[in-house]
Amino acid sequence: MNDMTPNRDERVANLKGLGCKRKRVEDARFTQGKGNYVDDIKLPGMLFGDFVRSPYAHARIKSINAEAALALPGVIAVLTAKDLEPLGLHWMPTLAGDKQMVLADGKVLFQGQEVAFVVASDRYVAADAIELVEVEYDDLPVITDPFKALEDGATVLREDIADKKEGAHGPRRHPNHIFLWEEGDKAATEEVVSSADVVAEEMVYYHRTHPCPLETCGCVASMDKINGKLTLYGTFQAPHVVRTVASLLSGIDEHNIRVVSPDIGGGFGNKVGVYPGYVCSIVASIVTGKPVKWIEDRMDNLMATAFARDYWMQGKIAATKEGKITGLWCHVTADHGAFDACADPTKYPAGFFHICTGSYDIPVAYVGVDGVYTNKAPGGVAYRCSFRVTEAAYFIERMIEILAQKLGMDAAELRRINFIKKEQFPYHSALGWEYDSGDYHTAWDKALEAVDYKGLRREQAERLEAFKRGETRKLMGVGLTFFTEIVGAGPVKNCDILGMGMFDSCEIRIHPTGSAIARLGTISQGQGHATTFAQILASEIGISADKITVEEGDTDTAPYGLGTYGSRSTPVAGAATALAGRKIRAKAQMIAAYLLEVHDDDLEWDVDRFVVKGAPERFKTMAEIAYASYNQAIPGLEPGLEAVSYYDPPNMTYPFGAYICVMDVDVDTGVADIRQFYALDDCGTRINPMVIEGQVHGGLTEALAIAMGQEIAYDEMGNVKTGTLMDFFLPTAWETPNYVTDHTETPSPHHPIGAKGVGESPNVGGVPAFSNAVHDAFRAFGLKQSHMPHDHWRIWKTANSLGLHG
Amino acid sequence: MELKEEILIPAPRDQVYAALNDPEILKESIPGCEELIKHSDTELEAKVVLKIGPVKARFGGNVTLDPSGAPEQFSLVGEGSGGAAGFAKGSATVELEDRGEETLLRYDAKAEIGGKLAQLGSRLVQSTAKKLAAKFFATFAEKVTEAQAVSEQPAETA
Repeated sequence: MNDMTPNRDERVANLKGLGCKRKRVEDARFTQGKGNYVDDIKLPGMLFGDFVRSPYAHARIKSINAEAALALPGVIAVLTAKDLEPLGLHWMPTLAGDKQMVLADGKVLFQGQEVAFVVASDRYVAADAIELVEVEYDDLPVITDPFKALEDGATVLREDIADKKEGAHGPRRHPNHIFLWEEGDKAATEEVVSSADVVAEEMVYYHRTHPCPLETCGCVASMDKINGKLTLYGTFQAPHVVRTVASLLSGIDEHNIRVVSPDIGGGFGNKVGVYPGYVCSIVASIVTGKPVKWIEDRMDNLMATAFARDYWMQGKIAATKEGKITGLWCHVTADHGAFDACADPTKYPAGFFHICTGSYDIPVAYVGVDGVYTNKAPGGVAYRCSFRVTEAAYFIERMIEILAQKLGMDAAELRRINFIKKEQFPYHSALGWEYDSGDYHTAWDKALEAVDYKGLRREQAERLEAFKRGETRKLMGVGLTFFTEIVGAGPVKNCDILGMGMFDSCEIRIHPTGSAIARLGTISQGQGHATTFAQILASEIGISADKITVEEGDTDTAPYGLGTYGSRSTPVAGAATALAGRKIRAKAQMIAAYLLEVHDDDLEWDVDRFVVKGAPERFKTMAEIAYASYNQAIPGLEPGLEAVSYYDPPNMTYPFGAYICVMDVDVDTGVADIRQFYALDDCGTRINPMVIEGQVHGGLTEALAIAMGQEIAYDEMGNVKTGTLMDFFLPTAWETPNYVTDHTETPSPHHPIGAKGVGESPNVGGVPAFSNAVHDAFRAFGLKQSHMPHDHWRIWKTANSLGLHG
Repeated sequence: MELKEEILIPAPRDQVYAALNDPEILKESIPGCEELIKHSDTELEAKVVLKIGPVKARFGGNVTLDPSGAPEQFSLVGEGSGGAAGFAKGSATVELEDRGEETLLRYDAKAEIGGKLAQLGSRLVQSTAKKLAAKFFATFAEKVTEAQAVSEQPAETA
């Protein structure tokens, strides 16, 4: 080697591949206001559409009079259900096998429901016109409580399916019932529960909240009547699925539809579903022949687009006197709102909720979920989690704490004696999952040691004594959580959305000068795909991540994929990227063998080049090979260096983590000060530690919001009481504590690079950690369960109900 | 939402009662009232412009009076719609206590509000409603006193 060739360490560093703390390449434009979001898209002659929304949660529509609105200069059209009906578009299918009104058809079922679509020359005229549309309502009784919805004689909400005894997921036993979905062995579980030494029983409610991305939902639909091509820009977490759905709904051939997701300002599940705004914009563009933009405002977003959670989880956990768990029983009453528009894989109407046995070796379990209609907005999306995993984690981590309390045991020890052991993996859970890998004891011991768990308990006991002596009004809580996620949906054999198997894809083109472009079927909403997928590829093909463009979101150029949600990008598209890279490398090896005049088998891969075995001075770098692939005729090989991979994962991945939150709770003001938060994540192979840390910080802050104050609250009339950011809690730097992050590394045995996904773990594990800390502060006073969010008022009420105010 | 208040009006009870049934005085007293039509002794129709926080809307509504307990007491129910801004339904009981030259007016009102108005948070709506009620009665008391002065004048000159 001559002096100009960098040594091996330098070559590895130049790659910026796996494990490199590479700065996010996206941030240059995001931090300088140069992102290109959907509202930045302005097309010539573009019109603006906006909705007349229902102020009532349940009412019959007597009449809609758009005369005054149409008389306003600049108003082009006012669409109602009557206009969409001839096209068959006044209702649309939901992702959950139900159907949903696009525009109110005879009645409204939730506050904020879309009643009419005003199309005007700009958004200000549209806003004025909305005020001029006169809608006469006849109000009907409102049901906001899912238990009341199932009572005999309850007002029938969905008159369109009132008599249907069968829904998309089996029998319905009440007009307001959607489905009962069950998993596990009910009889055996009930037998164990009825004969156990100890049973802890509790109703655990995970309240209704909202993903609330900073950028609301929106789109621009542009129908070119000359060439028959529809272009749809929008905030889509799954652009290819949107294209297929748009084609099936509109009858436009799929090749004539181009869906583009530009930069997206956060999704968190909110941007997975198909909303009436998309349908109305497309119809309006077809009718007017002009591009039509629709962008939600904040109130629209909080009031009408997909909510999350709202699960009432009744649990029974059985154990021996020594604390060995023998069974878990769970029944959920799931409030789905007015339409079942949950975004779950088709076969799983309650998502992956049956991961609710958590990290514990529980021999027998049963779970049943009743889906119920109420007069609330539809949705039920996975808010930074994989399909109801966060509800499951919260449920089991609360049940463990309640069981520990009943047993009089330390909750950390109770977890330890029930963890699935390292040698039990792959582990088959009682509810049907195959956990791919894990090492829970190691992670747990590391976490407890890092926070000096025993010291914390000593301090807590001292504080309690001081409180009883009247020396302090602050109690100390230690919130423990050990969670296991199930992400990376998923195997095509059991995971699909609207019939499309949940594989994902990557297509790579190497350019002659040794740089590359990779296109994927996913779409970043802030996760940093352009940074991390380039790193995966850099390590596979020996081209620096800085010389690889990652492009997503344009269905005309990207290979078909199912999109980004449920932490599936790295487990599925990341795997496709690695495998496509390996195809590139296989062809590169043949080219190198030709150039070096040796047999393929005589070469070995070394960081960024093929080297002749035993002759390190004879090599060809990837840059040289790329150039040769375009300019030399190589016998038996096609020119060029390209590859595509469609990856169907054999299993999900199972990231896990240990989170510990320490807080001081003022019993008089209800203020909870978070003193310490320690988060250990095991996401398998770590692609970019800095991106992981950023993801964990973001997810923990959302978890803080959810656990401590964020809520979509309704009054009895069905009014959304939290329709603005004044009432809907979104933490700022002011409320956000410091986080300490840590890790262990247990690679996935089936993923090509062993990566598991991490973006959602902090939301899944963070919520029970915060909530358990609040509960733990009051444990000595007998508190079993107090529902989230733990805002100051609720904490004060808890203290008051326990008689701590004297 | 509930509103409860009492106010002393410097006029005899009969006059206060008459003023409460006088569309002209009511129209001038109700903040933002653009139109008040009396369809019968018990049926009124009103158009009122309301501004609560960032929401400004024209409400159209009907009010039905129940004067069966007059002049000591009467009650009313009403509902109004402000289109995109929301809607309101309410009822009130008004009691008039004779204090010689003065009248003590007590009212007890209940209201349900919906739509954008309700979403702004009940704290804003409640305080605004209180302010509006106070403004109404302040103006109302003024108008009744003026009317009293006018009606007394000819008697003096005669």
